Amino acid sequence: MLLCLPIINQTNTGTHMKNLILVTGLLLTLSQMASAQRYFTRDARVQFNSDTPVEKIEAINKSGTAVLDTETGRMEWKVLIKNFVFEKALMQEHFNENYMESTTYPNATFKGNIANVSKVNFAKGGSYAVTAKGKMTIHGVTKEIEVPGTIIVGDGTVKVHSDFKVACADYDISIPGVVREKIAQEIAVSVDATLDPMKRK
Amino acid sequence: MVKKILLILAVAAVFGGGIGLYYFNKKVPSMATEKSELTVTASELFDAFDTDEDAATAKYVGKIVAVTGTVLESSTLEDGTPKVILDTGSDFGVLCEFDPNTDHARTSFEPGEELTIKGECAGLNLDVQLARCVVVQ
Repeated sequence: MLLCLPIINQTNTGTHMKNLILVTGLLLTLSQMASAQRYFTRDARVQFNSDTPVEKIEAINKSGTAVLDTETGRMEWKVLIKNFVFEKALMQEHFNENYMESTTYPNATFKGNIANVSKVNFAKGGSYAVTAKGKMTIHGVTKEIEVPGTIIVGDGTVKVHSDFKVACADYDISIPGVVREKIAQEIAVSVDATLDPMKRK
Repeated sequence: MVKKILLILAVAAVFGGGIGLYYFNKKVPSMATEKSELTVTASELFDAFDTDEDAATAKYVGKIVAVTGTVLESSTLEDGTPKVILDTGSDFGVLCEFDPNTDHARTSFEPGEELTIKGECAGLNLDVQLARCVVVQ
């Protein structure tokens, strides 16, 4: 409001209006800059498991990156396939070499939006049910997806969680007949990230 | 004669099955036992990905790489997994996630400390990431 004071003393109403518009514009931009914040992490966890009566396969990636723009709801995730950790050597080898072909397709990404981001009050702590919509790319194949998730606004951090299923066939991941009983056709994926305000530009 | 053949077959089956089971259940080995295939500095590795990601992916991804650099950041995840970021002189670094199958002598490092870390290059994800890392003595 202090910024407006010199304007009130202006006698010329034309200049007054112009200045008022300029200052209002400036104040609006400033307030937008304060609320438009990007959150980021390089410790996002992406876990998946394939559960069949014959075999249980689990793997976890703890070095995913995730960026969230709290104003627009724009969100991007990326994990490197080679960073999935398995318990058994053979599973890790088959996952990388036969199914994901991780030297040809080194990453998996999600680029999209939180569809109902306006429901989330990023200034107030709490848990919000959201829907993420966008493009998921795995094994070089891109699909439109829509998954439910939760956003937990904490003290200076934003937590994102989602559980969803990925069908191997959708991403041209072929599983040979011999091991078909051991690998689920639909893989359960769980993602978790605690994002901090972005410091770097 | 038939009995002998059956016995030999049974023994072979037990051995074969045993070997199969051993390989099937074999844990991912410690990175400490693996030999590095390539040696680079952190900035050389990052620059390679920054200049031409496809060429660097072809050259480094899936290879065991020994990377030398200074520590920019050392942290531990909630589940205890240590991570180190090596400085590359750019906005992003070489991010090393420590091997869960190795008993590490040290897991916390001072910024500025010079280290050589060995791990499997996973590719570029803002930082260049190395998987299953160990510190090379």
